[in-house]
Amino acid sequence: MQMTDVAASQTGIKRFIGIDWNIGALKSAGSRYWAFVSVLAILITLGVLAWIMVLTQGGAVMAQRDGFTWGLWFANYMYYVGLAAGGLVVYASVHLFGAEQFRPLARLAVLLAAILTMIAVLGDLTDLVRIWRIYWFAVTPNLSAIFVYTGSAAGIYMLLCFFDLWVLVTGTGGEKLAFRMTLIALPFAIYLHTTTAFVLALNKSRELWSTAVMVPIFLTSAIASGIALLMIAAYIMQRFNVLEFKASMFRSLSTMLAMVIIMDLFLLVVEIAFVYWPSSAKLGHTVRFTEFLVGPYAWTFLPVLILGSIAFALLARRKTRHLPAVQITGSVLYVVAIYFKRYTLMSMGFAVGPLGQRQAPYLPSLVEALIAIGLLALGVLFVTIAAKILPLRVPLEGHGEDGVSEHAGMPGEPLLESGAAL
Amino acid sequence: MSQDRKCDVRPEGATAPDGTTFSRRSFLQGLGIAAGVVAAGVVPAVLVASPAAAEDGTATATAGAVAPIGSQDPLAAIIAADQPLNYPGKPVYYADPAGKEKWAMVIDVKACVGCRKCVYACVEENNIGRTSGFTLIQVLEMEPGKIDLETSVLDYEEAGRPDKWYMPVQCMQCAHPPCVYGCPVQATWKEPDGIVVIDYDKCIGCRNCMITCPYGARHFNWVHPEVPKDEVNPKVPLAEKAWTPEKCTFCIQRTRNGKTTACVEACPVGARKFGDLNDPESEVSILLKTRRVWRLKEEESTEPMIWYVG
Repeated sequence: MQMTDVAASQTGIKRFIGIDWNIGALKSAGSRYWAFVSVLAILITLGVLAWIMVLTQGGAVMAQRDGFTWGLWFANYMYYVGLAAGGLVVYASVHLFGAEQFRPLARLAVLLAAILTMIAVLGDLTDLVRIWRIYWFAVTPNLSAIFVYTGSAAGIYMLLCFFDLWVLVTGTGGEKLAFRMTLIALPFAIYLHTTTAFVLALNKSRELWSTAVMVPIFLTSAIASGIALLMIAAYIMQRFNVLEFKASMFRSLSTMLAMVIIMDLFLLVVEIAFVYWPSSAKLGHTVRFTEFLVGPYAWTFLPVLILGSIAFALLARRKTRHLPAVQITGSVLYVVAIYFKRYTLMSMGFAVGPLGQRQAPYLPSLVEALIAIGLLALGVLFVTIAAKILPLRVPLEGHGEDGVSEHAGMPGEPLLESGAAL
Repeated sequence: MSQDRKCDVRPEGATAPDGTTFSRRSFLQGLGIAAGVVAAGVVPAVLVASPAAAEDGTATATAGAVAPIGSQDPLAAIIAADQPLNYPGKPVYYADPAGKEKWAMVIDVKACVGCRKCVYACVEENNIGRTSGFTLIQVLEMEPGKIDLETSVLDYEEAGRPDKWYMPVQCMQCAHPPCVYGCPVQATWKEPDGIVVIDYDKCIGCRNCMITCPYGARHFNWVHPEVPKDEVNPKVPLAEKAWTPEKCTFCIQRTRNGKTTACVEACPVGARKFGDLNDPESEVSILLKTRRVWRLKEEESTEPMIWYVG
């Protein structure tokens, strides 16, 4: 309530759907801010133009072919979905485990989750070369196709995150609704991940994808990269004075990150051992995996192991892990490592085709790259603008004892009623 | 009230030096809830993972049919397992409705010389774009002594080498087709006579069917298929195929009119046999009953309708 009063007295604040949009902050933004936004706008425009090329000239403008049936968009889809769910786990731990030190991250985590899922879904859609027939997805969905589940899950999850953000920012429903939203969003995040991993794992046609360990490894990679990205985003937000965090929060995050990284690497090593152990090795597996260890695809896979191990070594070292430089380096290394991992995973399905034919390593065409960059720019633009106009700062303890006082409703409204209304 | 307590995760226990506030009760409470949400997230995904749970009734009823020991007709179970799947109730628009047949093919790899005449005949019959960069039949050159796809060669230059053997691969018209299971919009289905077809006007171009196929039998028209005007087969779609995948249809436009497939017709050594499993006197029925036949990637449980012999 205190916040609302202060906000109302400021100029340039517009209230819409219960949120105080700080439009005035945009007016006072510096030239560097607008230069950055302009660059993003140019990248988005290029992306849109590239997509128009796909729509008018067909899939031939992309580098994807029969051998590499899916390409950059799929690596990105897995990556963004993972980053989205990972951040949410941190946020959920506030409500589920009482990890109060992460509370200041809550709004940022949900904002990132919503935007990342959005660009993941858009990446999927821009790849459909006959996208105008997408309505069949709703008219005659095929219940044995995993795409139906992961596609709808991503869409619903995105909406859930945006709604959750609204709940957090407006304080509607107080702590109770925020808690309930966690109970809905978290299983959905896991469901989204399981189904995304199933897009790979359920194919007996693709030897290296067809493993049940794909689901847990997806979750660990997602959580690790999600935490790492959240840490990077938090440092950036702190650098630009959008948000402030305690050093202890970063230390907790990096401890958590180191823990998940080692789980992630462990699962990977288990899978490699399974592929090559003499009594379990199958020609279809070993031939394909070898392409990634010493073959033409080694450049996609080896960085996963190398960067991942370095990141773990940095973050696990008790003496130095409190240093921001170490935390940032470790996080950046792992976010990059997971990108390589997603690219590798995508390639693993295609490096050697179902009939044993080797495919030349795939590199996206300019059109594909521009679409991907455009979508990323769109995501960054959303965050950049949100950092200015959305109240991302979580009110300090004491103001929002139980979250109800944050409620932006009418002053005369009884607190209990507003809390129980939802 | 208890809800409020659950929500209020404020400290009951000790405060850690860095301000972390964990209490055992809230931790255990959280752990329980976390276990619940993980289960809630995974269970539906596991349920959908079983194709049997998601298929329509006909498929579930016949899935896993095994020939009874001592059965008089060993083909009965094979025919019974090959049922329509996601069939929209009306035949594919560019061919006559299915008859009573259950189509199958037997390829004699001992006879095959790898001349690729079947490949070229198929390209001409089925309006395959001359610049599309694929063919529906892929003839693999194999090393003697093994059926090893990993060392097979697709783009061999000289055929009929005595130190190699040749195996043509195309859509297997599987009884349990992963491509049909994988299409999110039911744009591909299995006809009552066993042929897997694609509705080019419905396909959204997601290419998941190509991912799910263990035989690499589906190919995408990344460009508009181009066929010289005087070579266009009017009975087969052409422009409609742009930006959608296509595959062997057992020459549905021919076989439903009493003719055989183009590849069978073109084979100079008679290595290909095509016919109706419902007809006990057909060549394929006799071959399946009398010869040692095998199927490619039988371990994938796709129940292909193309057998190899040799």
